[in-house]
Amino acid sequence: MIKKELINKSPLRKMDNSIHGGVGIGNIGVIAARRGIGKTACLVHIATDKLMAGKHVIHVSYAKKVDHIISWYEDIFKEISLKRDLEKAMDIHDEIVKNRVIMNFSQQGTSVIQVIAGVSAMMDNAQMDTSVIVVDGFDFTKSSVEDVAAFKSFAGNKEVELWFTDDYHRDDSDGPTLNEKGIPTNLVSFMDQIDVIFTLKAEKDYLHLYLVKDHETINTEDLPLKLDPKSLLIAEV
Amino acid sequence: MSLDIEMMRNIGISAHIDSGKTTLSERILFFCQKIHAIHEVRGKDGVGATMDSMELEKERGITIASAATNVVWKDHPVNIIDTPGHVDFTIEVERALRVLDGAVLVLCSVAGVQSQSITVDRQLKRYGVPRVAFVNKTDRTGANPYKVRDQLEEKLGLNSVMMQVPIGLEDKHVGVIDLITMKALYFDGDENYAVRETEIPSELVDEAAEKREIMLEAVSMFDDELMEKVMEGEDVPEELLNKAIRTGTLANELVPVYIGSAYKNKGVQPLLDAVMRYLPSPPDIENKALDLDNDEEEVILPSDPSKPPVALAFKLEDGQYGQLTYIRIYQGTIKKGADLFNVRSKRKFKVGRLVRMHSNSMEDITEAGTGDIVALFGVDCASGDTFCGGDLNLSMTSMFVPNPVISLSVQPKDKAASDKMAKALNRFTKEDPTFRTYVDPETNDTIIQGMGELHLEVYIERMRREYQAEVDTGAPQVAYREAISKRVEWEYTHKKQTGGSGQYAKIKGLMEPLKDENYEFVTKIKGGNIPTEYIPSCDKGFQTAMKKGALLGFPVVNVKMTVLDGASHAVDSSDMAFQTAGLMGFREAYRKAGPIILEPIMKVVVEGPTEFQGNIFGSINQRRGMILASQEEGVNSTVEAEVPLSEMFGYSTTLRSSTQGKAEFTMEFAKFAKVPQSIGEELIKKAEEAKKAGK
Ligand SMILES: Nc1nc2c(ncn2[C@@H]2O[C@H](COP(=O)(O)OP(=O)(O)O)[C@@H](O)[C@H]2O)c(=O)[nH]1
Ligand SMILES: [Mg+2]
Repeated sequence: MIKKELINKSPLRKMDNSIHGGVGIGNIGVIAARRGIGKTACLVHIATDKLMAGKHVIHVSYAKKVDHIISWYEDIFKEISLKRDLEKAMDIHDEIVKNRVIMNFSQQGTSVIQVIAGVSAMMDNAQMDTSVIVVDGFDFTKSSVEDVAAFKSFAGNKEVELWFTDDYHRDDSDGPTLNEKGIPTNLVSFMDQIDVIFTLKAEKDYLHLYLVKDHETINTEDLPLKLDPKSLLIAEV
Repeated sequence: MSLDIEMMRNIGISAHIDSGKTTLSERILFFCQKIHAIHEVRGKDGVGATMDSMELEKERGITIASAATNVVWKDHPVNIIDTPGHVDFTIEVERALRVLDGAVLVLCSVAGVQSQSITVDRQLKRYGVPRVAFVNKTDRTGANPYKVRDQLEEKLGLNSVMMQVPIGLEDKHVGVIDLITMKALYFDGDENYAVRETEIPSELVDEAAEKREIMLEAVSMFDDELMEKVMEGEDVPEELLNKAIRTGTLANELVPVYIGSAYKNKGVQPLLDAVMRYLPSPPDIENKALDLDNDEEEVILPSDPSKPPVALAFKLEDGQYGQLTYIRIYQGTIKKGADLFNVRSKRKFKVGRLVRMHSNSMEDITEAGTGDIVALFGVDCASGDTFCGGDLNLSMTSMFVPNPVISLSVQPKDKAASDKMAKALNRFTKEDPTFRTYVDPETNDTIIQGMGELHLEVYIERMRREYQAEVDTGAPQVAYREAISKRVEWEYTHKKQTGGSGQYAKIKGLMEPLKDENYEFVTKIKGGNIPTEYIPSCDKGFQTAMKKGALLGFPVVNVKMTVLDGASHAVDSSDMAFQTAGLMGFREAYRKAGPIILEPIMKVVVEGPTEFQGNIFGSINQRRGMILASQEEGVNSTVEAEVPLSEMFGYSTTLRSSTQGKAEFTMEFAKFAKVPQSIGEELIKKAEEAKKAGK
């Protein structure tokens, strides 16, 4: 399969369609799930899809080391290219590596201001064409509305699309994780800032993808998409 | 007399520049009572540390030469191998790593794990060298050994465990608590620098108990008996604990962490005790050699002094004592007057003088046994050679020698300098296989090649200082490579009729890109269309052609040549004819095979204050660099990138001026990669112009 076909046939097109074309420049999308359920893989798949389409991506993480993030990208790329028998896979791989930067913030309690300053420095001096930023491991439970609003206005100023992951169980409380509208409780206070929310829920032997917020619409929609437990790729049900 | 092999330790001291490697080495020598005065590394009296014997070294403040120094600590003979710290001297580091059995990784209590700590640790890992860590400079403001311990785990992935608790830090640092004996150790002793042992000060009792728990938990993984005792809450005998720590350390699954201030003479003796207790003796390590008589089959060398000797020459030195060859003995015993065989040059020689190097003297000895590191006088050899006794024909595992990435022309200022330069170059190429030299047949210039700008600079400096050879140097040139991008079938007929006997050779073949390897030759010829004796001629012809590619005149790499068919003539075919056909056939095919230019790409790591990260990102971006990742840890940031070597000239100046001198970088060769088309065209144009100008 050639690259273009691979992009067109990607199950992520279904995701885009469900939210009327995508999260959009200046907007924030979130993938929420319980801890340890494959959100990082999901995010890396989304980032890889953007990279394949020629976009420049910055991957922000709050991990201890960056090695394993790089291997996530390598693994996901390998899965996609093998599954679809991608032509010229090595060349495409080298091309997309150039357009991707990983920025890791390893100190505990790094502020949103610091992260935005770091990412801005990268965009102003090196990765000038960045149009997508994915953020893994941001703790919504420890953040204020101002923090998320700062990200939102940054996305607007820099004309980028922002993606986050969200662990519902961050605070280890026993309360309900989703409210009656299906919104993760730890995201409820950020409804004005967040534009799109997907949730991942464990079914018997796979993870099912739901759309719970699509821009103005709050309504749980069962998407024909899942996270394949073996490859950790987003796939059609 | 040979030394007791179980007691012996061969250790290296590895560190990021300025962490205190030289100071610690000198203190170790001092405490082993071999030297009589402590001179500061950059002392006013101009007397440098004993380990850094080279003049140049003192000026640059980095360690270049690897020397081995023998000391004795509590009846343990210890050879300290000085491992060079700078990444530009990779081959020297690698060779030093080859001969040592264990290492002390020195870190600064304030700066923690730095870029070169990562590089040297990676090298230690590659060679599976067990290590203990020494967190130095606990007397400095901002010292935080616990943070450094965390970084060992986070940044280097080492299962590191504190073996001590500091008694005071910064200017209040006076001693340490040993978590095994649960005693306080003070270093305020008499002029013999004895350690004073007392009870733990009451205010630290709780902290020590807590840290001991952590230590016990980490260590008990390595011994079932210990694990049981710890779980049952029983008393833990010291020997059992030491045994478990040693097991973990030797398996490279545990790194005991010690702390102190080399400069203030604190913590050095306990570190030495730990080296003896936990680091391997020569028989603890399995060493392998290649049997040259048996297809390079691997053979394990038992650390047996009664077997015929096998030794590796790992360092040549033209020092104050004359020409010395440092060797590590892997098997057998080497005796004065005995015969040895150099398996590379295939020459036999007699062991003349055999010496052991102490920090300030040299001792003549009559024999040296397995595991030991000693020096020979006046042996004509190259660094990396293996010497065998008996009728052994073993070579110590061949070491990976990377291709040089940079070259420079050197011109002697006058006739006298010319002779001296020749002498110096001859010596350097023997010492260091990554340093090469040749005369360019077109310009008649002498060219030197190496692994980086600094690498070549050091040799030019050494030419001036050690050999008084004044030379002018040209601009550094990147060592490009050429390769092909397509597979082609080809055919070439070489035919010549000149009076008497003519020349005839025909080859049909396949030229294909190859991954990873430089060259592969395959023959698929059947029925003797090319007589067997001329097959090697084809191979030779191809290899001659590969020395100079058609685009820039740089060597061609990553090519597989297959001979499919051919033809010969009973009278006119010859070795020469097939070589010519191979050479010409290669050149013709090469043109059709989509030739490309490859350039060396360096892995660059820049470390600096976060406030300057924008400038750092920019400096890499402007150099066709690709930023792989950035790590921000509060005020400090590390940027990892891949940058073409051709863009890295003058980078230190740029970086210094754009970060107020607060950032530093390291670089090492990563890979060769295709140059972008526009730059490739530029290079070809320049090469053509240069060619025209030259003629
Ligand atoms: N405060 C303090 N300074 C030290 C200590 N050890 C070394 N230094 C200083 O750090 C600098 C670099 O030390 P050196 O031994 O040359 O480091 P190397 O580059 O690793 O060999 C010198 O100025 C030393 O005097 C220490 O324990 N405490
Ligand atoms: Mg030094």
